[in-house]
Amino acid sequence: MITLWHCLAVGAILFGLGLTGFLTRRNLITMFLCAELMLQGVALNFAAFARWHAQMYGQVFVIFAVAVAAAEAALALALFLTLYRQARSMDVSVWQSLREAGVPATVDPDPLPPPTAAEEEEIVHLPPAGLRPAISRKEEHAGV
Amino acid sequence: MPVSEPMSLVWLILSLPLAAAIAAALLSPSRFGRTLAHVPLVVACACAALLAVTLLAQWHRIPSGRLVSQAWTWFAAGQLQVNVSLALDPLSATMLAMITFISAWIALFSTGYMSGERGYARFFAIMSLFVFAMCGLVLANNLFLLLGFWELVGLCSYLLIGYYFTKPSAAAAARKAFLVTRLGDVGLVLGIFWLWKLGGWHTDLSAILDYLAQHRPAEGEISLVCLLLLCGAIGKSAQFPLYVWLPDAMEGPTPVSALIHAATMVTAGVYLVARCAPLFVLSSTAPIIIAWIGGTTALLAAVLALAQTDLKRILAYSTVSQLGYMFLALGTLGTVHPALAVVAALFHLLTHAFYKALLFLSAGSVMHAMGGVIDLRAFGGLRRLMPITHLCFLCGAAALAGVPLLSGFWSKDLILETVVAASEQGGPYSGGYYLLLLIALVTALLTAFYSFRAYFLAFWGAERVPSEAEGHAHESPLVMTGPLIILAAGALGAGILLEPITHSLSQFLATTPTVQQAAQWSAATEWHVHFNWTIALISTTLAAIGIGAAALLYHRGEPQHLPAILEPIMSLSRRELYIERVYHVLIVQPLEGLAFLAKVCDNAWSGTIRLIAALPGMAGQWLRVIHNGLLQFYAVGMMLGLAVLMTFVILRVAR
Repeated sequence: MITLWHCLAVGAILFGLGLTGFLTRRNLITMFLCAELMLQGVALNFAAFARWHAQMYGQVFVIFAVAVAAAEAALALALFLTLYRQARSMDVSVWQSLREAGVPATVDPDPLPPPTAAEEEEIVHLPPAGLRPAISRKEEHAGV
Repeated sequence: MPVSEPMSLVWLILSLPLAAAIAAALLSPSRFGRTLAHVPLVVACACAALLAVTLLAQWHRIPSGRLVSQAWTWFAAGQLQVNVSLALDPLSATMLAMITFISAWIALFSTGYMSGERGYARFFAIMSLFVFAMCGLVLANNLFLLLGFWELVGLCSYLLIGYYFTKPSAAAAARKAFLVTRLGDVGLVLGIFWLWKLGGWHTDLSAILDYLAQHRPAEGEISLVCLLLLCGAIGKSAQFPLYVWLPDAMEGPTPVSALIHAATMVTAGVYLVARCAPLFVLSSTAPIIIAWIGGTTALLAAVLALAQTDLKRILAYSTVSQLGYMFLALGTLGTVHPALAVVAALFHLLTHAFYKALLFLSAGSVMHAMGGVIDLRAFGGLRRLMPITHLCFLCGAAALAGVPLLSGFWSKDLILETVVAASEQGGPYSGGYYLLLLIALVTALLTAFYSFRAYFLAFWGAERVPSEAEGHAHESPLVMTGPLIILAAGALGAGILLEPITHSLSQFLATTPTVQQAAQWSAATEWHVHFNWTIALISTTLAAIGIGAAALLYHRGEPQHLPAILEPIMSLSRRELYIERVYHVLIVQPLEGLAFLAKVCDNAWSGTIRLIAALPGMAGQWLRVIHNGLLQFYAVGMMLGLAVLMTFVILRVAR
């Protein structure tokens, strides 16, 4: 029998995992996924309590939250794309230049390696359905 | 409304100058602004004058004696309903004809006088606006509408005194004129509101008077209303103690001095009192106060005019003095028949408009030739250089001095007769009126002296021309001398035409409904204008003495060594009786002290406010370190905050 406590425990674990990931990872997309994880943990709590109270309010709220999360994901990914175009990096600490003027920069003891020339070259194209994704322009030309 | 109807003519007269103002303002940015801006004003004034004279000529067709046009409601709030309503009665029709006629000639004169000035179009736009406002002021039946036009003429006066606004003295004079008249206007506004309350919450003057006829208010209350209205009249008509702005107002261009500060705007106060004559009749104390203010001002200003060296300043003080005469005539309202008092004041107003506009325009013609110099010490002996101006000025000065048969003589004489009649009535103030008669006679003597002193200093003796004239001092062009000649004809003949032979003015004005109402409410029953030979003889003698003394002392065109008895009074007059100084010590300095105190308090207060505002800023300065741009740092902060909150909640729940 799955009780309220089981559900709450799963929700708490999801939230904890998301939190940990959000605080420790620096890749914007990973951080975003972690934030989603936290959101889903909370949503699970809503659903669990809705069932426990035998009411629909919690479920309505979950659907609402999921819908908003979907919209938010679209927005966030678009933002990440523009951020990537600016900085050529998904590292969030690049953006510490947005800090208050006069505050010293935080020196990163373990920076991400700079992108290699090969990675710079890589432009990901959506392949036609059923084909292996093309990795570089050269191969793409060769493949076609 | 058909065009031939009188009331539509009135609306047309009112709208012509307004249209001219708009046209001149629209012309000003274009390249025609320098050459054609005078056309709207001249055309509008000429047409308005023709229409106004037509109205007067057709007056016998109006049986009721008054036309009221209730056009639309301007605004309404609760009890207060303000209509745009105009009233045309003999009083306002006379004023309207005078204003449009004089302003047409002055407009023509200004085209010559102002040519080549900077802001040519601005000048004519404001002059047109002024004529519009003055016509509106005269025609307004509603007190609030009257107040609106009253302020509008004040605004135009301000703008035109400060026409040369780059000159600090002109800017200061404009400000002074505006502020001093505003001081009187406070009383006017209070008076109008009180009258609104007394008059059964009506705002139309005719309605208020009809209401008051049914519901007679308490004597004290009506006296207070009259005195409050009088405050506004004193400010606008430059009476003691608020006359100080008018001499300074001569900083404006000379046509402005002629039109606004001699012929029309300054007479608005006289007109207001004449228009409200029924109210003043009801009060027993207000008329004698008017009389004393008028008498005091007449004498004081005449003394001040004695030793001035600025020609325009002499004329300004003379205007103040003559306005004092008009107030003196109105001050007999309750004692003699109201029609007599109003006719005397209005007759002097009309003749004064002619000869004072003439004098100012002559002074302007002189100033034009002398390159802008108007100080009598700098030039003299212009008799041969400017023959037409000389003759015109002589006509004006003679009319002002009261030379027999000229217009000033008749109107001044009528005022003196009115005062004599008041002193003979034997009321409680007859002694006062007798004293005022003596004051008026002394003023007549001084008037003759100072007007001819100015004449001799300017036109007699050896020819002297200031260097500013740059060697081409000449008689003014026809466009300037033409109006001078017309006005000179008016100054010579207007008096004899209007009153002493035909009595047409007094009969016409006596049919004014408000004057008739005043007559019903006053104790006086019969009236007639009769020529008092004794008074005429005395005033003629005094004028002759004044002119003779001026001729004796100044016929060489240069300041003479004065007899020892005259020296103290001349020196006092030169220093303007220290009145400006007294005002400065009594009013300006305490106010400056108050302003300083207010500044200190304000600084203390705003310092406190600034200190309070600085605290969050300091806190922010201290906290900005944590804004380091690292997203994870913020997330940790939020998590820690959440943790603290949760701990708190859990501990609270557990307890």
